[in-house]
Amino acid sequence: MIKYIFKRMVMMILTLLIIAVLVFFLMHAIPGGPFTAQRELPAEVEKALMEKYNLDDSLPKQLINYIGGLLKGDLGPSFKYPGMRVNDFIREGFPVSARLGLITIIFVLAASIPMGIVAALKNGRWQDVLSMIIATIGVTIPSFVIATLLMYLFSHKLGWLPAFGFDKPTGYILPVIALGGYAMSFLARLMRSSLLEVMGQDYIRTARAKGLSEFKVVVRHALRNAMIPVVTVLGPTIAALLTGSFVIEKIFALPGMGKHFVTSITNRDYTTILGITIFYATFLIVMVFLVDMFYLIIDPRIKYEDGN
Amino acid sequence: MKKILALMCILLLAAAMVFAGGNQEEAEDTIVEEVEQTLTFALQNEPDGIDPGITNNSFASPILFNVFEGLVVYDADNSIVGGSAESWTISDDGLTYTFKLRDNLKWSDGSPLTAEDFVYSYLRVLDPALGAQYTGMITDYIAGAAEYYAGTADADSVGIKAVNDTTLELTLTQPAAYFIGILGMWVYSPVNEATATTNGDKWTLSADSYISNGPFMMKEISFGEGYEMVKNPNYWNAENVKLETLNFRFIPDPSTALVALDKGDIDGSYEVPSADLPNLKATSDALQIIPSYGTTYYEVNCSKAPYDNPKVRLALAMAIDRTALIENVLQSTDNPAFSMIAPGYSVDGVAYDEGRSNYGLSATADVKGAQAMLAEAGYPDGKGFPVLELSYYTNETVKNIVEAMQQMWEENLGIEVNVSTEEWAVYYENIQALNYDVGAMGWGADYMHPMTFFPLRVTDATYNNSGYSNPAYDALVKDAQAETNAAKAMKIMRDAEDVLMADMPLIPLYYRTSPKMMAPYVKGWTITPLNNMYLSGAYIEK
Repeated sequence: MIKYIFKRMVMMILTLLIIAVLVFFLMHAIPGGPFTAQRELPAEVEKALMEKYNLDDSLPKQLINYIGGLLKGDLGPSFKYPGMRVNDFIREGFPVSARLGLITIIFVLAASIPMGIVAALKNGRWQDVLSMIIATIGVTIPSFVIATLLMYLFSHKLGWLPAFGFDKPTGYILPVIALGGYAMSFLARLMRSSLLEVMGQDYIRTARAKGLSEFKVVVRHALRNAMIPVVTVLGPTIAALLTGSFVIEKIFALPGMGKHFVTSITNRDYTTILGITIFYATFLIVMVFLVDMFYLIIDPRIKYEDGN
Repeated sequence: MKKILALMCILLLAAAMVFAGGNQEEAEDTIVEEVEQTLTFALQNEPDGIDPGITNNSFASPILFNVFEGLVVYDADNSIVGGSAESWTISDDGLTYTFKLRDNLKWSDGSPLTAEDFVYSYLRVLDPALGAQYTGMITDYIAGAAEYYAGTADADSVGIKAVNDTTLELTLTQPAAYFIGILGMWVYSPVNEATATTNGDKWTLSADSYISNGPFMMKEISFGEGYEMVKNPNYWNAENVKLETLNFRFIPDPSTALVALDKGDIDGSYEVPSADLPNLKATSDALQIIPSYGTTYYEVNCSKAPYDNPKVRLALAMAIDRTALIENVLQSTDNPAFSMIAPGYSVDGVAYDEGRSNYGLSATADVKGAQAMLAEAGYPDGKGFPVLELSYYTNETVKNIVEAMQQMWEENLGIEVNVSTEEWAVYYENIQALNYDVGAMGWGADYMHPMTFFPLRVTDATYNNSGYSNPAYDALVKDAQAETNAAKAMKIMRDAEDVLMADMPLIPLYYRTSPKMMAPYVKGWTITPLNNMYLSGAYIEK
């Protein structure tokens, strides 16, 4: 078991290094550079800037320097925001995104799992139909549409909730619903279909035949197994929610990480692209790892044998 | 006892009424002042930095023009007036500018601000290690600056000198009548040496180290969220600064800003969603249409056949229905353009564009004229004309314009137009490499003088991406730059413009306006056609 975990750790670090190298060469392959701005810079100024940030070195040398810094936990300076380092972006932006993400995850879990269970148990009845209508709307309507509709209704027309920022605690309500809408709906549908499948299996019939109450059958026997697919998607979903959404953060003017994902690419802010990608990748890999560990708890059939 | 008490009460009441009556005027004054003097203004974009010596990013403008003050500023009539400088003189040869600074100028931390600080600040921009982006605004004009920047001369040879604590002398390489306008740019703001040296490139990252000299000073910097500024008590004109707090909030989506403005959470917004403009024009008392000193035009590749033929370029320009573009496609408040140089500049009350020709263009499409012109160029009914590649940078508004232009050219001229798009960084490299036929472009002025536009078509100038070259035009621009008499310079510029536009080396579309939101209870603000927003005189009156 310990050997397995150690092996996974090594693989994780290797994966990250491969991602770093790939992204490094990919972004240098896109035309333009960090100083191709709306206002073109005179050649000598651009040259001075390239020297300042060591962009005039050869690519392999830049890569080695970068990996060197990376191993020390330094993601390098931003080329676009003088004086700022990529670590600063993450330190400033991640807590905001993570706070929103955490509340969203709680909302998603609290809404989707009961919704899926009710829909499965009341299969074909009105509770099922209602849950699935809500879930279908959530899956099909993009988050920015939901966000705009919510804002129009609750901020503009009714004036109940703020349109932007986290100045007041009520500011979280609209972004959380808009951000979590898709994940909530997707998980509810997954929970429903997975539970339906489990409920049709032999061991459930056995459990019932033993004379167990329906509650015990569902909670003790069916749910644990039905949760496996849900937990599988939960890992990446949590990673995605915690690291921020460009669209939702833009609409509700939230100072999170989301915008750095997108703007750093159009800005050709090389270090920021790399740093944020690596941060995101690390997060995702760790989440996937945690999910794999979590399987052990919910499904006794799963075991990670050493050497397997 | 009771009676005495009652009597005392009545007396007290009467006295109170008398005093209240006597103070009525003052009481009214206090009511006006009781309105909280806080302005919250939404900005859609976060600047890439707020070091006035480094950034050339226009998103920094609202911040920099309110926390810093250079030698000169623009007043409400868009004229240059003294800022940190009280007055100035220009030598007869137009080369030496001597500024008399105001007495007792101070930094926001209370330390004295002298001419030496300006010398430090300008030389700082000329240090290549700083990575300044607006260096050209100094090296192009100040004697010895380019050499100093290149490392071939020392600081003593640069024409930036502190004669004494309150006298600053700037020497130019050649006369430039518009130089005083350039001094209004933020790159000419003073930067505090103590904080810049102690904190290095981090001095702009925290409010404590962000020392400034303008009407406001930084109280809090929240990245991604906004800036909170307060009145700077050490500003020379602090008694006339009425706002106590100035908040800039980043609200990237202008539609969100509109909702927030409606709710009263903010008082203004830098951008207005274009889709809402028609509605706002009819219903909003907060919409402000600011004329903007800029032109949106399309580059034509003058080095490539058939676009090297002026007649082809003129035909293309004539076939555009500018009114339809502005009113139907953009639904904006812009004005049709027939030239590269936007109106707005004037000398002694004579507007630059007074009596200016339309250069054969019109607000609506001149279809017959355009067809005749294209036939004259050898392509009757568009026959034999190669497919026109119309490129633009990815942007929703520009996309709409481009599609409308495609339709106009195909219908009016009978030519085939192919539209293609790339994101800005890629697009601009192609434009610079002359790897295009016709492409979207525009110019927003740096200073209130037509000379901000002219270099766009000077042979081999940095921003001339058209391949156009005309020695007669180049010579006239040079003459205009050297002319110290403003009226004469204007005459020469008009001649240069006539020479230029006869060749139609671009397709002018419209002169820009800039719609902004500012609640009607906010008074005393100034936004110049350069988009400089000065809030030192702003106040809230509800």
